[in-house]
Amino acid sequence: MDLYKIKDNEPAWQSGMSKNITFIVTKDCQLACKYCYLVGKNVKERMSWETAKTFVDYVLEHEDEFREESVVWDFIGGEPFLEIELIDKICDYLKLRMFELNHHWFNSYRFSFSTNGINYHTSEVQSFIKKNREHISIGITIDGTEKKHDLNRVWKQPTADANGLTQPSERGSYKDVVKNIPLWLSQFPDAGTKVTISSADIPYIKESVLHLYSLGIHQVNINVVFEDVWQEGDDARFEEQLMELADAIIDGGWYQDYACSFFSEHIGKSLDPERDNQNWCGAGRMLSVDAAGNLYPCTRFAQYSLRSKKALIIGNIKDGINENLLRPFLTLDRITQSPQKCLDCEVASGCAWCQGENYDAAQTNTIYERSTAICLMHKARVRANNYYWNKLYRKLELEGRREEFEKNERDVKPEIC
Amino acid sequence: MKEKVGQVTPEECSEIQQLFERRNGLNELAKILTPDNDALYQKLVKDMGETGTKFQNWWDHMAQKYNWKSSPNGHWEINFDTCEIFLSE
Amino acid sequence: MMQYLVILLDDSSVSYCHCDNPHKEHHLIGLDDLRAGILYAMKQNLMIQFVYPDYELPQEYLDVIDTIDHHDIVPHPMKGDVVVAKDLETLTSMQADAVAVLRIGKAELFASGEAIAAILPKVQRLNIVITDIDTFTDDDLKQYNSLLSRLNEVLKEEYLTGHTPQLNLLTDRMMLTKPNHCNAGVENITLAPNGRYYFCPAFYYSNPDDSIDPQAIPNQQLLRLDHAPLCRHCDAYHCRRCVWLNRKTTLEVNTPSHEQCVAAHTERNAARQLLEAIRQKATFMPEVEIKEINYLDPFDVRKEW
Repeated sequence: MDLYKIKDNEPAWQSGMSKNITFIVTKDCQLACKYCYLVGKNVKERMSWETAKTFVDYVLEHEDEFREESVVWDFIGGEPFLEIELIDKICDYLKLRMFELNHHWFNSYRFSFSTNGINYHTSEVQSFIKKNREHISIGITIDGTEKKHDLNRVWKQPTADANGLTQPSERGSYKDVVKNIPLWLSQFPDAGTKVTISSADIPYIKESVLHLYSLGIHQVNINVVFEDVWQEGDDARFEEQLMELADAIIDGGWYQDYACSFFSEHIGKSLDPERDNQNWCGAGRMLSVDAAGNLYPCTRFAQYSLRSKKALIIGNIKDGINENLLRPFLTLDRITQSPQKCLDCEVASGCAWCQGENYDAAQTNTIYERSTAICLMHKARVRANNYYWNKLYRKLELEGRREEFEKNERDVKPEIC
Repeated sequence: MKEKVGQVTPEECSEIQQLFERRNGLNELAKILTPDNDALYQKLVKDMGETGTKFQNWWDHMAQKYNWKSSPNGHWEINFDTCEIFLSE
Repeated sequence: MMQYLVILLDDSSVSYCHCDNPHKEHHLIGLDDLRAGILYAMKQNLMIQFVYPDYELPQEYLDVIDTIDHHDIVPHPMKGDVVVAKDLETLTSMQADAVAVLRIGKAELFASGEAIAAILPKVQRLNIVITDIDTFTDDDLKQYNSLLSRLNEVLKEEYLTGHTPQLNLLTDRMMLTKPNHCNAGVENITLAPNGRYYFCPAFYYSNPDDSIDPQAIPNQQLLRLDHAPLCRHCDAYHCRRCVWLNRKTTLEVNTPSHEQCVAAHTERNAARQLLEAIRQKATFMPEVEIKEINYLDPFDVRKEW
């Protein structure tokens, strides 16, 4: 008999041991999603080969400064697969140079992509996947049912505005994405999708997660947006949706093979000020480069991601990283950036934050002011999460399988960004 | 069918994981590297041979050390997360 | 808790700290602004430090200044509580009872070891402010170490003879059992000639748009030691922990640069050597303990906390 199990939320590859290095290859995208935090998407800023090559040379020739055991070479946009030709060239160069330099990362690297999935089936993308099959991880973003997906994930207008900025149309993208899901899952059966929830999406959470499960996606990584978009009563509606989702997952037995990141045994506990003082976000331990060759502690600090602050540039591909500008990121801890209400919070664990959003929303130009826009949403999530685990454990108890489950349970720590 | 037949230490697990990763890296590098880049091509060929040997030596050495159960039509697999060894048939 | 109000009487008021004053034109603070500043200090129970330009103020200003207890920070050769030297030469002719301030670049400082060594026995207190500390290199550090060793020799002899001149770079740490930072924005604020308030003169000098409302300073907690992740673990107690330099070099007021930390720890370690040298001959400051450490930048050992 197979071991009785509950599917855990999958940790990222080499989590905690890898350097995440992101190429912002383009700031263009076919879509103009209404919740997208990239407020400055445009058709003009595309990375050149020269910029990419100079950046790769800088990173690989400074091995002493990048001692992490592994590396994830991340490609992001806009929509990265709009630049598949450039990406293919960069990846080939990375492989050759890592090998040629006897770089320790040749033994432990991945190419990672977050895509809208629209170009997934094209021969260029497929040929690239085939060539790098053992080192690729691809996440396609699909938000759930057609209705929920098309609420936000719409095509952009065919023409940009006078500043080259993209504008949303009314045409949803669900059908253009869902057609590629079977191919994607046949190539990456364990792949997960990323779902983003803003205020208008709350009524569709349950049906969307179940819809994604029905498409064969076993891992649904879902989060509420960090921005201050929440309306009065959203927390109650959110809690209700999550409880309905909990019922559906437990009553339908989905929990054995499918995971939804909303539900985790590790959230909703108080945190010790000494022991649990680490930063949530990985900004500063990551590195991003854009088309201009500027370096950022995370893509969220590039200008196209920021509503109200100036880009926080930590260097460039010619001069390298200004280590002094990284110091605040690498010394940032939970206590220093959190307001008292967060330190006193009895359900603090699992309450996430985004350093870029914190910076963007802060009263002053600092990364040390934690935004608490998701406070009520986190508390609602905790209540529903408690309900989920209490209900699930009772079910296992009644089935006489609780002890067996607890014995086989894997200790999964919450993922940092 | 898979049956758990043993366990290695985290250090041993890390060793074979590195060799596994390197072998995959070399295989994918071989798809883009052509003999006209002579020096690098020779380096690749040599490395593929050496890595393959180290890879096989690891399994031989561990099998001897831990005396895992085997079967004529089966092969061993390792779970890099748990360091468990499985016999797969 | 706020304790001091610094009032810059003129745009060309003398700089006594890290930041150069770029203003050359004379532009006095408005009399109404001056009166308002004094009134504010009286109501908030703040001690005022007036910072003077290098020319005689109109009598009406002197009359207003005279309405409240205060300290004067003046350029040499004016008389005041703190006198800022124009250069090394003018230090020798300073009034003996004032705190002398020498603002100096690293190159000149490293070349002036003997001159400073000669002056030390003649002063009560000398504050040396290195104006380009943010550019310190490893080589500079070696030269700085040599300089401090040389000054230690002089200070040791003076202290053993019962004369105890103070040099901020060395003797402050030797006397301190807890941090003694600048604390701009927490214990002191600055009123500029434009009638607006700033964390300190440097914020005004470098960007007049950086003014604050002293009654509602956003993110004021970040100026406090308990919100400085590196500094709150640090025992270079004499370090100014200059929030202006912090922001200039790391973009955050609560995070010092590598160069600042290394310079402060070089001074700390030299102070430790001075303390040990004096104690070899006499009982001295028994309550102070400066431990031996194996780092110069606390950032390098942050994971051990």
